[in-house]
Amino acid sequence: MKTTNYPKSVWLTLGLALAFMVGWETYWRQQHLPFSYNDDESMWASKRKQVYESSPAKPVLIGSSRIKFDLDQVTWTRITGEKPIQLSIDGTSPRPVLTDLGNDPNFKGTLIIDVTEMLFFTPDGSFPEKEAIKRVSAYPTWSLSQQASFQINRLLESSLLFLDDRNLALNPLLNLLPIPTRAGVWGGPQFPREFFIVDENRQSKMTPAFVADTNLQNRVKKVWMDVGVHSPPNAVDGAALLTILDDTKRSIDQIRARGGQVLFLRTPSEGAMWEAEKKMYPRRKYWDRLLAHTQTPGIYFEDYPALNSFYCPEWSHLTPEGAEQFTEDLIPIMVQKTGWPLGQPLSAMLSQPIPTCR
Amino acid sequence: MVFNSYTFIVFFAIVLILHNLPLSWTVKKVNLLLGSYLFYALWNPPFILLLWLSTVVDFYMARLIAGEQQPLRRKLLLAVSLVLNLGMLSYFKYGGFLLDNFTALLSTVGIVFQAAKPDIILPVGISFYTFVTLSYTLDVYRRKFDPEPSFLNFALFVTFFPHLVAGPIVRPEDLIPQFKTLRRATAEQLSWGLFLLSLGLFMKVTVADGLLADTADLIFSLPFPVQMLDAWTGVLAFSSQIFCDFAGYSTCAIGVSLCLGFVLPDNFRYPYAAIGFQDFWRRWHITLSTWLRDYLYIPLGGNRRSPLRTYVNLMITMLIGGLWHGASWTFVVWGALHGLFLCAERLIRQRMVNRQPPVTEPVVEGSIIRQASMGPSIPLGSPAGQLALALLTLFFVNITWVFFRAPTFGGAMLLLLSMVGRFPAGVAMLTNTAIVTVSAVTILLIACHWFMRNSSLAELAKRLPWWALSLGWAGMLILVMLTQKGSSSFIYFQF
Repeated sequence: MKTTNYPKSVWLTLGLALAFMVGWETYWRQQHLPFSYNDDESMWASKRKQVYESSPAKPVLIGSSRIKFDLDQVTWTRITGEKPIQLSIDGTSPRPVLTDLGNDPNFKGTLIIDVTEMLFFTPDGSFPEKEAIKRVSAYPTWSLSQQASFQINRLLESSLLFLDDRNLALNPLLNLLPIPTRAGVWGGPQFPREFFIVDENRQSKMTPAFVADTNLQNRVKKVWMDVGVHSPPNAVDGAALLTILDDTKRSIDQIRARGGQVLFLRTPSEGAMWEAEKKMYPRRKYWDRLLAHTQTPGIYFEDYPALNSFYCPEWSHLTPEGAEQFTEDLIPIMVQKTGWPLGQPLSAMLSQPIPTCR
Repeated sequence: MVFNSYTFIVFFAIVLILHNLPLSWTVKKVNLLLGSYLFYALWNPPFILLLWLSTVVDFYMARLIAGEQQPLRRKLLLAVSLVLNLGMLSYFKYGGFLLDNFTALLSTVGIVFQAAKPDIILPVGISFYTFVTLSYTLDVYRRKFDPEPSFLNFALFVTFFPHLVAGPIVRPEDLIPQFKTLRRATAEQLSWGLFLLSLGLFMKVTVADGLLADTADLIFSLPFPVQMLDAWTGVLAFSSQIFCDFAGYSTCAIGVSLCLGFVLPDNFRYPYAAIGFQDFWRRWHITLSTWLRDYLYIPLGGNRRSPLRTYVNLMITMLIGGLWHGASWTFVVWGALHGLFLCAERLIRQRMVNRQPPVTEPVVEGSIIRQASMGPSIPLGSPAGQLALALLTLFFVNITWVFFRAPTFGGAMLLLLSMVGRFPAGVAMLTNTAIVTVSAVTILLIACHWFMRNSSLAELAKRLPWWALSLGWAGMLILVMLTQKGSSSFIYFQF
C-alpha cells in the first residue's frame, strides 16, 4: 500500500490556498469594489453593548434600513460631538429591539425610532420581526470568545475585500448561477452588488457607482416592486393594530419611567414606494395614531420644507450626500421639537424658527 | 469557544506552540488543562464551577469506592456520584421540562397551578462531560480498573478541550493512559490532524451552515403546509446538515487532538450507508450508542433475559437516548421510533433465522428493510440490492429526523403530511437554486458514504498521491474561506 507524504501535502495545500486567496483578492480589487463590513450579529451586539452610554447627543437609533442610510453619523458627530449608536436592522421591524430596550432595566437613554410603516406595523412573529428577534435573543449569549472573534474579524475585514459576506460569500455567488426561477417562488430581494456598503459604525451608504447608474437604481426599484407583490395585501388593522400600539406604548413608558426619552422619525421616500405607503398606511390611521397613542413626539419628513425635497434614487433611501444634508437639516428640527441639548454649534442654527408645512 | 472561529485559531496556535516547547510533561499537561478551562470559560465563565464540581466529586468518590469493601457502602458512594451528576444534568437540562409536564399533569386533574418559569441556561457540554465522568465512576465501581491516582490526569481526562463540549464521549481507557506518557505529534500525525480539522470545518462551515442550514430552517419554521418537493428538500437538507454539523465537530475534535499527539475514538462511520437500524447505530454517534449499550442496556439485562425483556430494554435505552438529546417530547418520540425500528428489525431477524431462509436469497444481517421491501426476487445480496436497502434505511431515518428537528408535534405532522403529498395545494417555498444545492449535497453525501462504508478516510488518503490529497484539501479550505459564515454554534451544543 502506498503511503502519502503528509508533510509535503500540507505545504502544497497551504501554497494553493494562499495563491487562491491572493488571486481572488486581487481580482475583486481590480473590479473596484468598495470595502464593506459584514453587518452580522456580532457587529450588532457590539453596538447593543454601548446603549448604556446613550444621551440626547448620542442617541440609540432603531428601525430598518432607511435610518441606516439617511442619518449620516459623520455629520451628526460633527455637529453634536457624539456618535449615535446604530441598532437598526435592514428589512426588519424595530419593535423587537424596542421591547428589548424597554425590558432592560439599565437602559435610561435616548431613543430615536425610525418608522417605515410596512415594517413597523407588522404582527408579532411575522417575517420582518424574525431577524430582529434573532439578534435580540442572541445578544445575551454573546460570549467572550465571540467578542474576541469579532475584533479579529474586523481587523481582517478592514484589509481584505473578499471577506464581504453579503456580496462575495459562497451563497451570493451561487445565486449568480444561471438557474431558472421556480414558478411561483420568490427567493427574496436580490440587490445589485453596487447598491450599498456598510461601514464599521453600521452606516449604510450607496456606492458612487450606484448613485451614477440609473440602470442599477431601476433594478432596486424592481426589487421593491417584487417585495410589494410578495407582501401581505392588507395592512394590519383592528385588534392586531391595537396590540402593536399597546406594546409600543408599554416599552416607551418603561424607558420613560427610568428617565429615558423617545422620538419617532419618518424619513423620506418617493415615487411608487411613497404612493403605495400613503395608500396602504394612511398617515392619520398609522403615524398620527402611533404618536397619539404613545404620547411621543415625532418628526415626519413631509411636515418640514427642509426635509421634504430630498432625492431617493431608488425611492426608499437617500444618497450619501443627501444623508449629510438631511442630517444637518434634521438636527435643528429635532432640538426644537424635543428640547434635547445636542451640542454647542446648534445655537447658531436655532437662531431662526424652523418652518413647518402642517 | 467554537472550532469555527478566529478565536479558536489563535487559541489553538498558542496551545500548539506551548505543547511543543521543551517543557516537562507535567507542565505541558497543566498548560493543556488551563487551556481547556479557558476554552470553556470563554463561553460562559461561571459554569466552569460545575465542571470543577463534577471533576472533584468523581475523582474522590471513585477513590472512596475503590477503597471500600462493604457492598452497601460502595453502592451508597456510587449513589452520591450519580445523584450529583444526574442531579445537575436534570436541573439544568430538564428542570423547565419537568415543571411544564407537572403543571400539565395537574391541569388534567383540574388543579390550576402556575409556577414561575425558571430562567435556566443550559451549560454547554453538560450532557457530554456528565457521561464522561459517570463512565469513570461506574467503571471503578465495577472494578474494571483502579482509580486514577493523578488528579491532573483525571481533570485533563474530563476537561480536555477537543472533546469537552460535544464529544466524542471518551471512556477512561481511551484517554487516561495517553496522559501518562509524553505525547507529541509526529509530523505525520500533525499533518493528518490538520487535514481532519480542515475537513471538519468544511463539513460544518461550508456544507452544514453555508449550503443547507437556510433551507432546513425555512422549511421547519413554516406554520403552513408546503408542496411535497419542498417538504422533502427541507428534510433532506436537515438530514445532511445534522450529519455534517455533528460529524464535522467530531472530525475537528479528533484532528485537534491528533495535532497534540492524542487519539480520540471515532464517532461516525458513514451512517447514511447503513443497512438497517442496528447498522445505523453502529455508525452514528458511536460513542453515545456504545455508552448507552454498556451503561444502560447491558445493566438492564440486555438480551440475556427473556425476548420480551430484550425489547423492553431496547425501548428504554432508545427513549433515554432520545431524552438525552433534549428536554422535549419530540426527542422522546424520535428515540421511540428508533427503538421501534430496532425492535422490529430484531423480531424479523429472529424469524428469519428460525425459518432458515434459502441460500439463494441471503439474509442481510441486522436489516428490517429486507422484510419491508416486499419484492419477491430482488437479489438483496447484490450491490444494487444492498444500495436499495441502504436507501430504504435512510428513508426511515429521515422520517425520524422530522421529529428531531420540528419544534412541535403539530409542525412535525404538518411536514410529514406534506411529505406524503397530502397537500397538493401546498405552498412552493424553495428556489430552484436551493433545491439543486440540497439535491447535489445529498447525492454526493450518500455516494460518499456508500463508497466508503467498508473503508476509512485514512486508508483512502494513503492510496492517493500526495498532490491529489493536497488538491482536495486546498479545495476544502478555499470553500471554507469563501463561505465566511459567522461563528455559528454547532447543533449538538444545545444537547
